[in-house]
Amino acid sequence: MTQEIQQEIQENDISGARQVLRRLRARKSALAAAIVLGLLVLFALAAPLLAAWEGQDPTTYHDGLVNSAAGGVPLGSFGGVSAEHWLGVEPGTGRDVFVRLCYGARVSLVVALGATVVQVVVGVALGITAALGNRLADSVIGHLTDVLVALPFLAFAVALTAVVPADFPRPVLLVLVIGLLNGVGGLARLVRAQTLSLKKLDYVSAARLAGGSSWRIARRELLPALAAPVITYAAVLLPSNIVMEAGMSFLGVGVKPPTPSWGQMLSTATTWFRADPMYVVLPALLLFVTTLVFTVLGDALRTALDPREASRLRVGRAGRAGRRKESAI
Amino acid sequence: MPRHRHTHRIAIAASLVALITGAVACGPKGQGDTKNGAAGAPRSGGTLTVLNRQPQKEFDPARLYTSGGGNIPGLVFRTLTTRHRAAGAEGTKVVPDLATDTGKASEDAKVWTYTLKDGLKYEDGTPITSADIKYGIERSFAPELSGGAPYLRDWLVGGDTYQGPYKEKKGLDSIETPDARTIVFHLRKSEGDFPYLATSTQFAPVPKAKDTGVKYAEHPVSSGPYKVVRNEGDGRHLVLERNDQWSQDSDKERHAYPDKVDVQSGLSTEVINQRLSTGSGADAAAVTTDTNLGPAELAQIGGNKELAARVGTGHFGYTNYLAFNPKSKPFDDPKVRQAVACAINRTSVVNAAGGSSLAEPATTFLPNQATFGYTPYDPFPAGATGNPDKARELLKEAGHPDGLEITLTHSTAQDFETSPDIASAVQASLEKAGFKVKLAGLESNAYDEKVHSVQNQPDLFLAHWGADWPSGGPFLAPIFDGRQIVKDGANFNTAQLDDSGVNDEIDAINKITDHEAAAKRWGALDQKIGEQALVVPLFHPVYKRLVGKDVKNVVISDWTGVLDVSQVAVK
Repeated sequence: MTQEIQQEIQENDISGARQVLRRLRARKSALAAAIVLGLLVLFALAAPLLAAWEGQDPTTYHDGLVNSAAGGVPLGSFGGVSAEHWLGVEPGTGRDVFVRLCYGARVSLVVALGATVVQVVVGVALGITAALGNRLADSVIGHLTDVLVALPFLAFAVALTAVVPADFPRPVLLVLVIGLLNGVGGLARLVRAQTLSLKKLDYVSAARLAGGSSWRIARRELLPALAAPVITYAAVLLPSNIVMEAGMSFLGVGVKPPTPSWGQMLSTATTWFRADPMYVVLPALLLFVTTLVFTVLGDALRTALDPREASRLRVGRAGRAGRRKESAI
Repeated sequence: MPRHRHTHRIAIAASLVALITGAVACGPKGQGDTKNGAAGAPRSGGTLTVLNRQPQKEFDPARLYTSGGGNIPGLVFRTLTTRHRAAGAEGTKVVPDLATDTGKASEDAKVWTYTLKDGLKYEDGTPITSADIKYGIERSFAPELSGGAPYLRDWLVGGDTYQGPYKEKKGLDSIETPDARTIVFHLRKSEGDFPYLATSTQFAPVPKAKDTGVKYAEHPVSSGPYKVVRNEGDGRHLVLERNDQWSQDSDKERHAYPDKVDVQSGLSTEVINQRLSTGSGADAAAVTTDTNLGPAELAQIGGNKELAARVGTGHFGYTNYLAFNPKSKPFDDPKVRQAVACAINRTSVVNAAGGSSLAEPATTFLPNQATFGYTPYDPFPAGATGNPDKARELLKEAGHPDGLEITLTHSTAQDFETSPDIASAVQASLEKAGFKVKLAGLESNAYDEKVHSVQNQPDLFLAHWGADWPSGGPFLAPIFDGRQIVKDGANFNTAQLDDSGVNDEIDAINKITDHEAAAKRWGALDQKIGEQALVVPLFHPVYKRLVGKDVKNVVISDWTGVLDVSQVAVK
């Protein structure tokens, strides 16, 4: 291909991304979700500033703020809400809930996003290799994904984190364990199936006849077509990764205490849901909102990436039809 | 290597005691009140339901590892002596059961003689003889019936090699039965605590003619007020009914008010506590022998007067502590250990353990009960919330003016003992004093293995200890007796203390048969060891348990810390 044509393709790509963005902006739900997500990220990034603003830190114990004789339930109403502790204090320790939620957002978001990136990269690579490679590669990867899908994730993750040296940074370990074990098998299968059907399409055959290598075909012809299903799948995986991180924290193999994470807070909170409902509601609400936001964004992204939906969106009336379809889902 | 087994088993016992002898408790804290919310005098009749987590998997008296004969097993098996079924400190006493007294000791406490009461019978009406008790003990030496406490093997002459009555029909010469009512034990060393050991189920009579070996557990012959009529699902569901051959006249300890006891296990903590608090149907006459109330449940019950009146409080002799490895840096320096002791904020730690209703701050290694020889002392007084300034100063004197980086090992089990919550509270208080604390959380099996291995023992870790009977000996000796260091097995002397002064004093006290006199010396020994800061006592746990609304006559002794199922009435 000449340089000219390459240039043209690149320009097309850029304008494609712009189009997708424009289509996303046109959807109010996506816009709202993006704004909320932005706030959550800001909440996580600004944790030290927010802590300083409130005048608290995530690890200081406040023995005087809990009723020791009553199992350590926070004194005062709504879990010990006060001018010093905006969202109350943790039962048993008296640590500030607001600051712990801020810092907890960092763990949850970083681990979930990191794990999703790992899942997408590994899953897509495995899927395309299986579909384009020879029979041996396909069968090896096929068995591997079977194992990954059938693996009892939590049991295996707990075992893995138990054998890894204690000095290994926990967040990285969590990203790798969740990223490589949770959902990769499913994603690889999806990509393989999609690739196999795409492979038969004329434009891919044309590219192959034109002498394109497998790598080139994968990159140029298949990846753009795979983007929509992969992104949709990733949007499902992301909230599930957040939950997995929470689950691992629940089992005591998440981030190390006293580093707060939403999962850890929720796991303590499960026993406290009657005596101190605020302590359950707050991390649960944040977890719910984060999951919802990612799901809405993922869905919007899928629609925006879908050429058929996109053509409808470009025409004003059909755009509304597209939205109606979404609300039906 | 009996020594290895010995120490390892005690630790298991500590937790088993809580499980097996466990029971619901009722009545205001610390008052030794034997009444509960249900009004009126206890009467016979009805069915008592027991809701438990752990199935009673083992019901062979040879294999049971109990403190004071256990709770449910204690309804079926009578033993030479037993724990006094009384509330509070009175309940830490050992009293006669099948025997007429708690044993006559020779001068050096090496020979113990017991005489059986008159007219004792099994459930089938045949008489109980001293030979049956000897046989019951011999059975516990059979390898296929292992599981009981290791003391008999260690203490009885020839016990270390005896293989049980199936292989060695001749029996154990160190147990003599000169007549049908007399039994004499010959020990290889002085053991003033022998009457306490004689409360365990290995001292229950087993009629040789009815012994079916490993199958005996399916239908053990009862000597107590109840017999097993059903045992389903490997101890998941047990039904006990009255043994009409048992007579209250020969048994001053057990009451046996209910006609039937129905034990249901395999339930979760939440289910048990929810069923007890709701108390619908048979659950109104229910108790639990193994499930405590957690801090959140306590907080919730606090607002409900009716429920709060049904919560029983018990104290089982137990200590949760920080253990050092004084053989490794930086804790080989007593000043560093003292700095840790001064820095600990026990208020935070107690809160992490469930608050002041579930844990009491500890400065002594011995539990805060007279029977252990409790002598209040605080070698490094730092107040309820610790003294970080003093700790900093001690660190400076030790040559660490800029603080010190240390690692605290804990388990990831959510048990309010060695759990991450406790570790975080310890970490928070140490960091105030200039320590930089790294937490190393291990899965609970890996944790147990690591902390009890001399080679791999961490420098600093969370530990806990309870004794097999309420006496200073089984509390101090396994932890501080230099001869109990196990180099290649499960070691409990984690301070690796081998001080001839301490060892000799342990031997000397073991010779004393007067419990009170011995207790005083155990207390003094505890203080002497405590001053070396080999451990930092953190707290003594308190048990809170719920009973059904129709349950009467709740008795909680300090021996078990939990309700005694033999005293409960449901009518």
